[in-house]
Amino acid sequence: MKSLLGEPAPALVDLVEGDGLDPAAGLAVYHHHVFTTLTAALESVFPVVRRLVDPRFFAYAADAFIRAHPPAGPCLDEYGEAFPGFLADFEACRPLPWLPDVARLEWAIHRASQAPAGEPLDSAGLGGVPPSDMARLRFVATPGLAHLSSPWPVDRIWLAHQEEGQALPDLGAGSVWLEIGPSAAGVLIRSLDPASFSFRMALAEGRTLGEAADAVPDAVLESEIRGFLGDNVFSNFTIATEDGA
Amino acid sequence: MIAPGALPTGTGIGLRSQHVAELLARRPAVPWLEVHPENYLNGAAACASLESVRRDYPVSLHGVGLSLGTAGELDLGHLGRLKSLVDRIEPCLVSEHLSWSTIGGAYLNHLLPLPYTEESLAVVAEHVALVQETLGCRILIENPSSYLRFRQSSMGEPQFLAELARRAGCGLLCDVNNIHVSAWNVGLDADAYLDALPAPAVAEIHLAGHAVNDADGRVVLIDDHGSPVAPPVWALYREALARFGPVPTLIEWDTDLPELDVLLSEARTADGLQARSGLRTERARAA
Repeated sequence: MKSLLGEPAPALVDLVEGDGLDPAAGLAVYHHHVFTTLTAALESVFPVVRRLVDPRFFAYAADAFIRAHPPAGPCLDEYGEAFPGFLADFEACRPLPWLPDVARLEWAIHRASQAPAGEPLDSAGLGGVPPSDMARLRFVATPGLAHLSSPWPVDRIWLAHQEEGQALPDLGAGSVWLEIGPSAAGVLIRSLDPASFSFRMALAEGRTLGEAADAVPDAVLESEIRGFLGDNVFSNFTIATEDGA
Repeated sequence: MIAPGALPTGTGIGLRSQHVAELLARRPAVPWLEVHPENYLNGAAACASLESVRRDYPVSLHGVGLSLGTAGELDLGHLGRLKSLVDRIEPCLVSEHLSWSTIGGAYLNHLLPLPYTEESLAVVAEHVALVQETLGCRILIENPSSYLRFRQSSMGEPQFLAELARRAGCGLLCDVNNIHVSAWNVGLDADAYLDALPAPAVAEIHLAGHAVNDADGRVVLIDDHGSPVAPPVWALYREALARFGPVPTLIEWDTDLPELDVLLSEARTADGLQARSGLRTERARAA
């Protein structure tokens, strides 16, 4: 079966009747279908990467990716999570060091676009948590929420390439700390400062409020909490027990 | 809300994501719709739109991902997700392909045919039974479009399908375009193929366009669902109607998807042929 990803193996050709199409030509039809549909699936998830590298180069990279990482399941819209990491190791992409992070941003946008818009947290319930338990609060991230930091201005690169033929923005514009998530109006990309980013990412990863608070100065902790409550990035909370469960 | 389990009549269309917004805005008169469940197992947003569609139309789930012909075990995770969607959408029909796509953890979406042997029949019949038991309904199995035949096959494809329907108690989805494409590519007699299918088991017909390509000087027909139904396929559809009666029919289109109205127009053409076929049957009975 794997030989359908490369040249048909002679052993496979031997299994096929020779009275219809040439066996190798028949196998090539299946091979072509697999690569065409999977390349199209990658193109729909990574349109900006495709614009940045040129469609022919994208097809070349997609071809190599499909051989190295065939899908693990039948849902095409779940295919491509490993593509950014593949691009980071792909020799031909070396001159474009920011490209894997643009791909990571597109994958995060894709996942957020499929998720339901975040339900607001039960703020009345949260208000009832005694102050002594606050440090042990643990929040549940809304489905589709992602955090992405990059030494490149990938949000500006992404925005500038929503259409063909656009110039790259100033790559020296510096690092970004982004939060990507679903909203009622579509996918929202928030640009955060490094402290807020670390704080929210720690919470999204399941750290308690007490643990995550190490990332931000005490003076701004309250405004940080108000900030993430207003942004609907967490959908629920629990209070961790003493043993950390 | 359309009652669950209500069987469709007449000709429906395959609903693709590009047409969903227009369909919901216009609510055109089309008796039923068919979608690939694999496009609705992951995205909550897509699933919500399918539920909106389902309020006004019977929906058939036409799977491409179960790989019923795999020699190993079925992907029970995938089957479980399919079951959740079936419970949520309450489809009028559920169908899958006679093909295999998985091996060694990799999934290749090519719907490769099987060697048709006693051994493969036992495997597929067991898989179909498990799917029907899990979903709690009879499913339909579709004949593939073929570009090769395996030397090991000890029976023909329609004989294999007939025996599968008998053993597993499943229905059949007769894809008329696939029969035409396979007949040309691997040298089958399309009329004899229709004759060999058990008419009472055929519960749905698919119609689609195909491409005519050149492979080193030999014409090969590619089942690309990228053009109107071709004249020889309409002719074979008449033959199918004469044998199976007015079976619910579906227009499929995937490559180079045109305006929604083009699909609706193809569906009306099929409805016209169904009506005429019904008249002929009535006259024959009266005579």
